Amino acid sequence: MGAGHELEAIWSRRAKDFREQSLPYFRYMGQSGFPAFMSLILISSAIGYITLVRQLPANFPVAATGVISLTLVLCWSPLRTWLAAGDTVFMMPREADMDGYLRLSFRYTTVGCSILAAIVLLLYLPIYNQGPAISGGWLLAMIAAGLKAGNVWGAWRERQMTWPGMRRLMRLTRWALTALIVAAWLTCLVWQAALFSILVCLSFLLAHRLPSRHRLPWERLIYEEARTRKRYYVFFGLFIDVPTLPSSTARRSYIAWLLRVVRYSNRNTFVYLYTASLIRTEIGGIVIRLLLLGCLVIYWFADAVSLSGWGSVLVYGLFMSVLSVQLGGLRHVHRYSVWKHVYPLPEKQRAEQYLKVDRLTMLVCSMLLWLFAALPLVMSSYYLPAAAAAAGALAYIAIRPSRLRKRMQKEMDEE
Amino acid sequence: MDAILQVNQLTGGYSPRRPVLHNISFQVKAGEMVGLIGLNGAGKSTTIKHILGLMKPQIGEIKVDGATLEEETEQYRASFAYVPESPVLFDELTVEEHLRLTGMAYSVNDDQYGARAEELLEQFQMLPKRKAFASHLSKGMKQKVMIMNALLADPPLYIIDEPFLGLDPLGIRSLLDRLVEVKRKGAAILMSSHILSTVEAYCDRFIVMHHGQIAAQGTLDDVRQAAGTEMRGGSLEDAFYKLVTGGHR
Repeated sequence: MGAGHELEAIWSRRAKDFREQSLPYFRYMGQSGFPAFMSLILISSAIGYITLVRQLPANFPVAATGVISLTLVLCWSPLRTWLAAGDTVFMMPREADMDGYLRLSFRYTTVGCSILAAIVLLLYLPIYNQGPAISGGWLLAMIAAGLKAGNVWGAWRERQMTWPGMRRLMRLTRWALTALIVAAWLTCLVWQAALFSILVCLSFLLAHRLPSRHRLPWERLIYEEARTRKRYYVFFGLFIDVPTLPSSTARRSYIAWLLRVVRYSNRNTFVYLYTASLIRTEIGGIVIRLLLLGCLVIYWFADAVSLSGWGSVLVYGLFMSVLSVQLGGLRHVHRYSVWKHVYPLPEKQRAEQYLKVDRLTMLVCSMLLWLFAALPLVMSSYYLPAAAAAAGALAYIAIRPSRLRKRMQKEMDEE
Repeated sequence: MDAILQVNQLTGGYSPRRPVLHNISFQVKAGEMVGLIGLNGAGKSTTIKHILGLMKPQIGEIKVDGATLEEETEQYRASFAYVPESPVLFDELTVEEHLRLTGMAYSVNDDQYGARAEELLEQFQMLPKRKAFASHLSKGMKQKVMIMNALLADPPLYIIDEPFLGLDPLGIRSLLDRLVEVKRKGAAILMSSHILSTVEAYCDRFIVMHHGQIAAQGTLDDVRQAAGTEMRGGSLEDAFYKLVTGGHR
């Protein structure tokens, strides 16, 4: 067997290992009712989509919808390489033979992404055809295929770049240029769009010649692989206990000032630690994203006074429950930390300080989400749903600490 | 001098059927630095884990500053600071936030905290890294953060496991200077290390562990005597070698 073939065999074995590792978790997910929930979302989205396509409003933003939806799926170009930290020792000496290995990675990830892009394009075409439809469906499909290929190439070149700042700049440029090209093909005459695309592509190619690059960006690929793997496990973690992988942290300066608000005192030791964990770990990222999305969706429902205002209360309840599940993950962050045994603080104090952080966060999140429901409802004179949402949230926040306390005690007994 | 750490007839390990430590007894007094030495697997880290309270003794008792873990948990834990062999830091905290957390945990006076933190940052050449996250530090820098945290707590006892791994020469010098200083002020230090020349130069007494037992303890002369090298003199390393190999090369 040639050197390259050996590496390709390693690729296949690693892909198989990952499938075998994740299969049981998919089974747990299947048993959890999540597929039923997703089916519900899919069916309601399908109904919404068909209704939209049948009766497209005259002022519907056809081009903007195309630009946003197509840019997202065309630019997103992940790469599964299965590489791990140890590979800098064991695989690096074979760098010269890695072409076949990487080819398999490209094929594996690009096929999936391209199918997704094709589905989005197919869903968009019926909307597009009701607008000016300057370029025609087939031409648009060809352009999309070209852009997808260009993005896969661009994403690879970004991975090769030595400097993170340059990588981020080039990624931003790639996304912006893709959006501009899509916009050109959706709104301009064919020759204008073609000329614009050629100019943009040429300047993009030239720009890519400048930054310094690695031949094979080992560290970047290992980092991306670890990140993807962790995302899978975070997802599986919603349904069952999963192996803990090292968590990544973000500075989040825009919210880190909260940490300085925690008073310097022995009574606040774990308040300080859990606040830092909440702000800087992925849990904080998820909570912030959920909060922003929740505010937006709840506002839409409340503004439209759907189901006489009760629609927004339902969505409020949904976001509150997802938020509470995600926030509950905070208690596991320092589960196995040696310091919780070494610090001169009683265990009970740790639990109570954790609950303090949890309660305050739940209170702030629920109030913020509630405002986005209550203000439009009150302005439309729908008082009862707004009051009901507030009462429900307050009742839940009142009972949550004792439930969490019991759960923590149970988990400690199991350990 | 009062004994800050007392380990009395300790037998312990991961399984009651196969104890790793066998009837270990030693003391570390105030103002004394004791070197804990032994081959890999001799039981040094297991001894330290028992002192920390991460493992329970099967037989025997451990007292820190007169308190046992069972009877006075908080006083026991507040009486020592620990520097582990591999740095264990919180990825989501910066260097100065670690110091702040330690200050809170060990009730370091608010008025003293700021000046002490600054002094440590400066002494361990960590001022430019004060806002860096633990995950972005090199192993040696992480070790410096661990040591700075221990020194900030200013407890009666320091338990330091392999402190020199990954430290740069300036870091080693700063650590040793600070240890000498806290010792002079009356702290007790139990330090495990494989760097026998440094242990010999800085420690007042030595505990040589071998196969989970104490093969020798005391001053350099006591260890030499146990090794049967007292007539020839020689370094701690010579005596240690004799004790753990029986003199067979």
